[in-house]
Amino acid sequence: MFSKTLVVALACLAAFAVNASSPERSVVQILTFSQAPLFDAPWRFETVRRAGGSGFVIKGRRIMTNAHVVAWAKQILVRRYQDPRPYQARVAYVGHDCDLAILEVEDPTFFDGLEPLDFGELPAVRSTVVTCGYPAGGEQISFTRGVVSRIEIQNYVHSGNRSLLAVQTDAAINPGNSGGPVLQDDKVVGVAFQGVPGLENAGFFIPPEVIRHFLKDVDDGKYHGFPEAGINLVPLQNPAYRRYLGLGDEGVGARIDGFRAGSPAEKVLKKDDVLMEADGMPVGSDGTVLYRDNRVSAATVFQTPQSGESVKLKVWRDKQPIEVELPVLVFEGDRLAGNQHDTPPRYFLYGGLVFTPLSADYLRTLGRERADSSSSSMYYELYYRRGEDPEKLRTEPVVLATTLAHPVNANLRVRGRALVDKINGVRINSLDDVPGALEKNTDGQHVIEFLGQGGFETLDREAAAAATQQVLQTYGISSDRRL
Amino acid sequence: MNSIARLWLGFTALMIGFLSVQAAEQKWEKSVVTVEVTYKDFDFFQPWTTPTRSIRKHGLVVGEREILTTAQHLPTETLIRLQKGGRGKWYSGKVTWLDPQADLALITSEDATFWEGLKPAELAEVVPSAPDFTLIRWRDGNFESRRVEFSKFSVKDGALSYAPRLTLELNTELTGLGWAEPVLLDGKVAGLTTSKSGNTCNVVPAPFIRGVLEAQRAGKYRGLGYFDFTWQPGENPTTLKFLKLEGPERGAVVIKVPKRPGVEPVLKARDILLEVDGFPVDVEGDYLDPDYGHLLLENLSSRGKFAGDTVVLKVWRDGKEVTVNYVLPQAKYDDELVPREVFDHPPEYVVAGGLVFQQLEQPFLRGWGEDWRRRAPFRLQHYQNDQPTPERPSLVMLSSVLPDPVNVGYQDVRMLIVDQINGRKIATLADVVAALKEPKDGVQRIQFMKGDTLQTILLDAATLDEATQRVLKRYGLPAEKRLGKS
Repeated sequence: MFSKTLVVALACLAAFAVNASSPERSVVQILTFSQAPLFDAPWRFETVRRAGGSGFVIKGRRIMTNAHVVAWAKQILVRRYQDPRPYQARVAYVGHDCDLAILEVEDPTFFDGLEPLDFGELPAVRSTVVTCGYPAGGEQISFTRGVVSRIEIQNYVHSGNRSLLAVQTDAAINPGNSGGPVLQDDKVVGVAFQGVPGLENAGFFIPPEVIRHFLKDVDDGKYHGFPEAGINLVPLQNPAYRRYLGLGDEGVGARIDGFRAGSPAEKVLKKDDVLMEADGMPVGSDGTVLYRDNRVSAATVFQTPQSGESVKLKVWRDKQPIEVELPVLVFEGDRLAGNQHDTPPRYFLYGGLVFTPLSADYLRTLGRERADSSSSSMYYELYYRRGEDPEKLRTEPVVLATTLAHPVNANLRVRGRALVDKINGVRINSLDDVPGALEKNTDGQHVIEFLGQGGFETLDREAAAAATQQVLQTYGISSDRRL
Repeated sequence: MNSIARLWLGFTALMIGFLSVQAAEQKWEKSVVTVEVTYKDFDFFQPWTTPTRSIRKHGLVVGEREILTTAQHLPTETLIRLQKGGRGKWYSGKVTWLDPQADLALITSEDATFWEGLKPAELAEVVPSAPDFTLIRWRDGNFESRRVEFSKFSVKDGALSYAPRLTLELNTELTGLGWAEPVLLDGKVAGLTTSKSGNTCNVVPAPFIRGVLEAQRAGKYRGLGYFDFTWQPGENPTTLKFLKLEGPERGAVVIKVPKRPGVEPVLKARDILLEVDGFPVDVEGDYLDPDYGHLLLENLSSRGKFAGDTVVLKVWRDGKEVTVNYVLPQAKYDDELVPREVFDHPPEYVVAGGLVFQQLEQPFLRGWGEDWRRRAPFRLQHYQNDQPTPERPSLVMLSSVLPDPVNVGYQDVRMLIVDQINGRKIATLADVVAALKEPKDGVQRIQFMKGDTLQTILLDAATLDEATQRVLKRYGLPAEKRLGKS
């Protein structure tokens, strides 16, 4: 009986503590009206969508939220706690790789009476946290309590191809919670950002380490992003491999199996180097480090500095320890392989043929079909070419997305969903090559060659040039290009 | 005529019709038999196992002690039984000839009593288009004769082959078809069913069967040929103008001519294919067949021709007509980098220290089920688009790892294509066996194809054989390798 009473009393005290400082007053509701483009018809946009999210006031009279809450926004409205008035907001900084954004409010009185929330430290596993925000299912602010389940590197689904440190909790994180603070002792220890479909009682929030990196990054007025090492670090646990490299079974040291072509690491490190220590932290044979009492991927260490800074490494090479400094840089070469945001796709329209860069967003428009040779070539080009055959890599592969019907192109059989190899003999490395390849041609026909089965199509040059304006007019397209 | 007389006459007419149908069915009952095939249905994820399955299909008596059926399920058969009359005794059968590429097989029985009462059926020389065909089959011990609707003649790959051939497409809602049921027209066999998709039932037509059987009986069958070049329709007049074609718009445009070892290609990319064996090719890539109407030009690779035969091609090249003799290559599974079928031997494998090496073949990819094109690993599938080279005519993958102390750290490695072992390029499992005999510095070095995935693993050379034996025992494998027909 006594213990039950104590538990209830403690719970009441905890609740009082939250209420006493009223951090919820600094939590704001965000309404976003967004319009994403159609990647297979890049001059068009989807219908306007309304979505709700959360945010919180930080120092400097600004609001922090998730990047995905404000992505493709045409209008952002913010509302204060129990205040019916909407205020116009705009994005000051956005980090799509870390799913964080900072908003500014046009009316400075919005912040009157609101205290910025302070940031805490990475919460311990099993400690209690409270999520706070405006999830779906009601209009009022909502609190949910949970424990920190685990801390590790997770894929950030907003970018699609970046993994950063994340904290898993069993506190409910639902649509609308996104961007809201996760609190512990009245301090922000995270920003709620994603769940995993099919995984019950598991929500994820962005930890203070990532948030602080983002805030420091934008200090110079521009967001750069999270750097990476450019190495393929693999576990070194096979006894024979360890013996071969002159190592015992100490459980320390992971092996460098390869590099991203062109990364600074290629000049500093070698294949079969063994990473023993990174930034003073011993690297386990499974490729992890003990980071604030959590075993997490050693990739975390390389994501901690800002782009352009270096990480000190202890490396085992040729059976000798050496020390090196590895510069880490933001890598943007795979931008098109992730989800794109805020910048509508580039395109060039000529004679009804619409060319646009190959991207993950474009591939999604093909549906799940990847069996045919053409789609298969696109998948390979986007996801595998860089690693397997970097010499033939195109900086921005181009697809013929669609063909807008006009007599000049009526006889073309390949009318879209085709990866462009050459136009008039010019290898197309990026969309920037397309206008010149077409406009500089003086032959009677344009010849467009495709990858995959190696087919080609031709257009009458003079007729196609004349048709472009007619196509723009017929289909209500304001410009023949967005380059 | 009074009403009673009219009734009587009507009844008589009905009886005559019934008797003639009965007589017709009795005739066909003596030509159609049930073929039960027990065959090895390999588990490519555990290639050392040989599970078996049984199916029943139809056979057509076509000659002296000769039953014709489709080749499907027969290449790996372990037992064949035959039954006549749809019920009763089963007789032992055996395959006397089969060609998976043609999807045809001949079966016989050495039991003389089996042949009593059976009569050969006649295969039609030509199958004209007709509104309806008749499909016959044994079903639950009864002989069934059903009308099926003609759809069209087309040119398709075979059920087991990439060599295109004439196909009769029928439209029917009947289920359970595709098991070599004979299809009849005008009292002759018009073909055998090979597959059914939706309401479309594909039939290998009798003229195609006759051609193959006659060549086979004459000892002149060299397998099916095919056109190894790729073309696109010449429907775009600007393209024909670009290629400087004179005269009316016609022909198909060659876009890819593969390099084959020892063969000098007679075609060039951007040739316009104007005629094939004297048949003009239209801008859609069709020709007008005297028997079957407009058909894809690919049919001319199997219309009375086989591998090694010459097809005369008239092409437009560099502003003039050129005639070239094209020798039909044989459709062979091992001509592909990733063979789509492997029939002449069970799945090969090599197990070394728990690492399982296999050839990359389409049957392995099909192990992911009906939706394999979406579910099987993309990178493995994409190799199907690549051509074999003299240096790498085939691919070997590390398909899985059977966990053992020797391979600690590699338990999750799988589905990676092997580039080299101990410095030797790997294209076959024989290469794997040979390379593993040459470890260096006390380790077996296995390198995978360049990419973002794992590149290198090492295994202890001194204890590898011992570990392999331990793995065989622990996982119940019959042998550490199976190569070729062993």
